[in-house]
Amino acid sequence: MSLPSPFMAVLRKELLDTLRDRRTLIAMIAVPLLVTPMLMIGTARYAQSRAQEAREKVIRVAVVDPRDDTGLADHLDAQPGVEVELTKDVVALPARIAAEELDAAVLVDETFQREVAALHPGGLSLLFKSSDDFDQQKKRLTAALTSFEQKLLDRRFASIGLASDVVHAVRVQEHDVASPREQLGKLIGGLLPYMFILFCFTGSMYPAIDLAAGEKERGTLETLLTAPVRRLTLVLGKFAVVTLTGVVSALIAMLGLYVSVAYGIEGVPPELLSAIGQVLEPATIAAVFALLVPLSMFFAGVLLMLSVYARSYKEAVSIISPMTILVLVPAVIALIPGTKLTAVTAVVPVLNVSLATRELVAGTAEGGLIALVFASLGALAGLSLWACTRWFAREDIVFRS
Amino acid sequence: MITVQHLAKRFRLSRQQRRTLGARGDTLQAVDDLSFTAKPGRIFALLGPNGAGKTTALRMIATLLRPDAGQIHVAGVDALADPVGARRRLGFLTGSTKLYERLTADEIVRYYAALAGVSEADYRRRRDALFGALGIDAFAGRRVGKLSTGMQQKVSIARTIIHDPDVIVFDEATSGLDVIAARAIIQFIRQCRSDGKTVLFSTHIMSEVSMLADDLAIVYGGKLLYQGAFADFTAASGQRSLEDEFIRHVEMAEAAEAAAGARP
Repeated sequence: MSLPSPFMAVLRKELLDTLRDRRTLIAMIAVPLLVTPMLMIGTARYAQSRAQEAREKVIRVAVVDPRDDTGLADHLDAQPGVEVELTKDVVALPARIAAEELDAAVLVDETFQREVAALHPGGLSLLFKSSDDFDQQKKRLTAALTSFEQKLLDRRFASIGLASDVVHAVRVQEHDVASPREQLGKLIGGLLPYMFILFCFTGSMYPAIDLAAGEKERGTLETLLTAPVRRLTLVLGKFAVVTLTGVVSALIAMLGLYVSVAYGIEGVPPELLSAIGQVLEPATIAAVFALLVPLSMFFAGVLLMLSVYARSYKEAVSIISPMTILVLVPAVIALIPGTKLTAVTAVVPVLNVSLATRELVAGTAEGGLIALVFASLGALAGLSLWACTRWFAREDIVFRS
Repeated sequence: MITVQHLAKRFRLSRQQRRTLGARGDTLQAVDDLSFTAKPGRIFALLGPNGAGKTTALRMIATLLRPDAGQIHVAGVDALADPVGARRRLGFLTGSTKLYERLTADEIVRYYAALAGVSEADYRRRRDALFGALGIDAFAGRRVGKLSTGMQQKVSIARTIIHDPDVIVFDEATSGLDVIAARAIIQFIRQCRSDGKTVLFSTHIMSEVSMLADDLAIVYGGKLLYQGAFADFTAASGQRSLEDEFIRHVEMAEAAEAAAGARP
């Protein structure tokens, strides 16, 4: 086996050194592989169990019907999961609801029957304590009151010899012509870049800090710079490793996302899984991967540049960590409805990747705009590499103390 | 051979550096018109107190820093015009040299050989000779972070000369080392002379100078105060100790500087 070329030697050494660093391994592999499924599965299961709990919870409702002649209490009592308590003690109700002894109370107006008989709306008051927990129960209670109203309406229309649907002059039927892939693509396509951009950045972050500021702090950078090799070769080797770790980290995050959706979340309808399968087909993955490479190169250049500027590992962490927010902001902007891939957004770093991924996943990408995204990313990656090389060549930066 | 002519380097100081050094201006003349020649088969000692400009001068010779003025030739290669070529002829070792702790001794030496473009056959031959001579074979497969300081120093030596440089530069190479590790460096410097290498070493320790130096230069405030054969230096010092003679040169320089400052 012959000795590798200087570039390959730098690449192999930095890769080996990086893969033996526990912090980098955690950030690059363990976090995206475990955090994504844990977040997805954990959140979905928690939401499912809370929704189930809310659906099954018995709602305790007090009904105050002054004349006991509306039939409301019987109607509510007949609804599944509703427990009715008849009472006349109106004054105590707010305190009992506040103390969660009751979930809600319905107060029938004194004039209710008279108003209904006169074909006017009869008055009901609903007392409840608003909270996240009550949302689901309030929906069930409101539905029960609506069905009570419908009963009265049916009776009213029958008394004048009309069918109750006479009030509807128009019947609207909705037909969404978007394919399941498009519908799902817009949803997943927004979430996917958010995940992989974050992991691409965090996956590159620790190797970049270790390979420049870490080397500086440990005193190995000065030794390395006395080796008979061009500084560009050293920078390119480090740049390639940081790019690679970013790409690998993002791919692992995507794998974690797929595995968690496909195998981890119970009750996902098979048609949804099939649509996810369509979205994550090899051609789409390849296109997303192609976007990921220049993005990771851009991150690598910027991160290495900042890292070599820092005097120590700690300073590099304090400079680079806040950048995570800077990276996430454009990714979040892409989630705002109405934000589209245009000639302007196609040249905004990170935002362009988010929007292009959404279009690619949904299968609605325009070739010209995607080309513009690649061109701008390529230009930015080149620019960041050039700037990084310049900073590595500056002795006031490399030997900054 | 190392030839240095009229070398100069000025640093811009940060506010914190100005405060620490008590400097009046915002720049510091670290090296000022420094010229000397280190010859093959001889050990050239660059002697001076801390802050004299020794490390800056050696960093310029190793092409880590670019001089503001002057010329440097390393084994006939113009270090300013062809820094990679100069580094190919040069090995650089400092007392603060650190190694990659997550790599093994073998991996580090192989890495530096590859960076220097050494052929596989030459690498094998030199690796076997160096590892045998320095006793690295016993721990060649262990990660450097697990090795003692002395073992790490041996790996540093192997790393420095794996590409068989003509010139070897030691910057305060024994600084911070224990007696055993320092002795390994001293022996290595002598070995380099025996092998016909040009050896340049900087130190502020007199005993090292008297043990090793064939030629000597004293630098102070970035300027050259004395240059000549070590034997001539000791002869001129007469009954004075080396330390006294060194201090005499420094005090003469300080007096000259003060007189120049007092002149209208």
